[in-house]
Amino acid sequence: MSEQPAAAPREIFDKDLLAACISCGFCLPACPTYSITKLENSSPRGRITLMRALQEGRLDEDDPTLQEQAGLCLGCRACETVCPAGVKYGELLEQWRDHQWRGRHTPVLAGGLRAGVRITPALIAGGMVRLAARQTGAADPTRPHVMLGCLERSLYPKVSKAVVRLIPEADVPSGQGCCGALHAHNGNSVEAARMAAALGDAMPGTIVSTSGGCAAYLDHQLGHGRVQELSQFLAARWEADPSSMPPLRTITSRGRTARVGLKDSCQLRNGMGVTAQPRALIAKVADYIELPSAGTCCGGAGTYSMLQPEMSQKVLSPTLEQARDLDLDYLVSLNVVCHRQLVAGVKRARLRVKVIHLAELLELAL
Amino acid sequence: MPGQLATPSHTGYAVRTTTLPSAAGRPIPPDVLDRLRSIVGGDHVLVTDGDVEPFARDATPLFRARPGCVVLPATTGEVSAILRMATEHGIPVTPRGAGSNLAAATIPEHGGIVLVLTRMTALKEISGDELLAVVEAGVTTAELADACAAKGLLYAPDPGSRTVSTVAGNVAMCAGGLRGLKYGVTRNYVLGLEAVLPTGEVIRTGGRLWKDVAGYDLTRLLTGSEGTLAVITEVTVALLPMPAVARTGVAYFDSLADASRAVAGVIHDGIVPATLEFLDNRCINAVEDFAKLGLDRQAGALLLFGDDGTAEAVERSLSLMASTCERIGARGVTMARDIAESDALLTARRCSLPALARLAPITMLEDATVPRPRLAEMVDRIDAIAVRHNVVCATFGHAGDGNLHPTIVFDPDDGDARHRAEAAFSDVFDAAIELGGTITGEHGVGAAKRPYLERRLGADQMALLRRLKAAFDPAGILNPGKLGS
Repeated sequence: MSEQPAAAPREIFDKDLLAACISCGFCLPACPTYSITKLENSSPRGRITLMRALQEGRLDEDDPTLQEQAGLCLGCRACETVCPAGVKYGELLEQWRDHQWRGRHTPVLAGGLRAGVRITPALIAGGMVRLAARQTGAADPTRPHVMLGCLERSLYPKVSKAVVRLIPEADVPSGQGCCGALHAHNGNSVEAARMAAALGDAMPGTIVSTSGGCAAYLDHQLGHGRVQELSQFLAARWEADPSSMPPLRTITSRGRTARVGLKDSCQLRNGMGVTAQPRALIAKVADYIELPSAGTCCGGAGTYSMLQPEMSQKVLSPTLEQARDLDLDYLVSLNVVCHRQLVAGVKRARLRVKVIHLAELLELAL
Repeated sequence: MPGQLATPSHTGYAVRTTTLPSAAGRPIPPDVLDRLRSIVGGDHVLVTDGDVEPFARDATPLFRARPGCVVLPATTGEVSAILRMATEHGIPVTPRGAGSNLAAATIPEHGGIVLVLTRMTALKEISGDELLAVVEAGVTTAELADACAAKGLLYAPDPGSRTVSTVAGNVAMCAGGLRGLKYGVTRNYVLGLEAVLPTGEVIRTGGRLWKDVAGYDLTRLLTGSEGTLAVITEVTVALLPMPAVARTGVAYFDSLADASRAVAGVIHDGIVPATLEFLDNRCINAVEDFAKLGLDRQAGALLLFGDDGTAEAVERSLSLMASTCERIGARGVTMARDIAESDALLTARRCSLPALARLAPITMLEDATVPRPRLAEMVDRIDAIAVRHNVVCATFGHAGDGNLHPTIVFDPDDGDARHRAEAAFSDVFDAAIELGGTITGEHGVGAAKRPYLERRLGADQMALLRRLKAAFDPAGILNPGKLGS
């Protein structure tokens, strides 16, 4: 309860980033964790107050609330889109976790995953075993490159194969590592930046990513324009050159035009502002149904579903209810972690809806 | 400012170190904590340094004080039990809704308990037949308004923080907003309250009646009492039928004074529109940076005008306002094409304050209000005061209400910037009072404007305020040190 500083001021956060928040609270209604807890501590404004207390030495570094809230934040950045002051919450969270999850404080699972996806040969082997899109040797800078993703190539290898059918001239360079987003969001932004740079070097020219999280992180690291998420790439390309669009038929399900919903990727929506393109693409091949929670985090959030299983499911549950009530045939994902979260949730809730990546949905229409 | 001034820390964020009497900085006794836990359940009593830190402040810059504990009751009965015990033990209690107030009214300067009402979220009733709604304290203003709109009803009070703020918080602070001119403010819509006295009794003031003169008007007394007299747990509000049409337009002027003259012209024409808001050039640019609506960044001022009602009435009102603006010398006048564009403009106006945070680390805003005919004069005075004290001031406000929000932005690392800002605001308050106005139109007194309150009210009224306080709160536990003290 002491108002005396617990320690000397620390230099953990970028001073200007922290000063940008004026605590108006406009972020509260946008925050998925606040809407569940209704507790200031688990709101973006409350977390920034905690970061300030950490920076100014008013809270002990090992304070349990700091540990808890650094982990309980989804990192979805929905708060950034409603913040009139332009607070870069995502960057603050990275700086917070870099400090909070240093050394022995790293959650075991996060540390394990970070270590796992750092080993590029293992990723390559995983992709080959699961028959992800065929690798074509060194990158050809004149062609768009398909990024395989560290998890997707092993978990959902069909996605990259579908992409190659949708973009026939794309190449899939060999030797791809992880983009580093997972590290940046889990307390190791230095290593993350190095990995992003390496991936950028390995794939000169346009990179097409099938995961919103990877796309947003690479976009931030490599500079705007280098990286495009699949829906962004396809929508722009097919509009600029309609002849590049293959004939697409209407997808049916149970004797009707398929009813298809979408779950935005938070990083794609809130970090890159991409929302219209995936909706327009789905509407080309099916009945697009907007879920009320389409833009809200699914609770997958990188490693979140593993580190915070209880909150993760609470965040997901409205989406599952809506998918059932709206009688969806397909629920489209734009990111590997969302995909995994939605598949698990649909299975648990025994829903009829099939979770499908946008690339796979479009492939069905070929 | 009373006590010691806050000292800017190296993070560009000020730490308030006021010397406080009573329980400030003292832990809550363990037996009291045990009783609190038995009342609301262990999960709803927060005591660790980290857990209570986020409740050390609200949306007011430069004020912070950490409470001894935070308690989140779910029922009126729990609130009553907490307050009775707090009076028994002489422990300060600071009620809090969403913590979006701008006068440091929810800062627990004396430590003790912060009583947070965000768990009381039941929308109990919306009656189209009776044109009223009954909600628990923690329902947000936007939740209430949206639920009413879905039934074709209008909850008229429209504070800028409506998506965040709670209804009971609005009542406690008598929040204003963007519809003041035509529709009035929160107090005009409060029919009845359920409130808990600091000694634990639950009272119901007013009710479902438009006419009811039985007794003193305690509903009005509690409205705007800033959590110093009782804790509001349930609110009954009056509703209106939703107007058929609402439209908005924008006029640009060379200066805020010109825009003020246009406001006078509109009123002179006999129009009482729903919305008359203005922003100066700095505000236009800050808002445009966020909202990207294509506002004229070169203009000296923007006047947002709007009205609602029947299609014909709105058409007439808007075209009259547009021609008045043109006559006064508007650089340009545009009409929102549809509801989405109207909403975007109003939303942009609501975010003026936080958008100004883009200019500097600290944004200190005030709330001086003058009689409408003195608006242009007040605007000129504010400009002169800003020059005299060498401060960067951006001004926006509810022009139709004479309610101004001059906002001084500064970097706390810039020498005596804060002192210059405070000196400037002191002059702004004096100017407002001189012109027949007030120190705060809608944000409240809180800890931030307490030093200036006597200038507005005089010694006799201040003494009466304190006698009223003593009648409600003999132990002086409820939000101690605030309002009249």
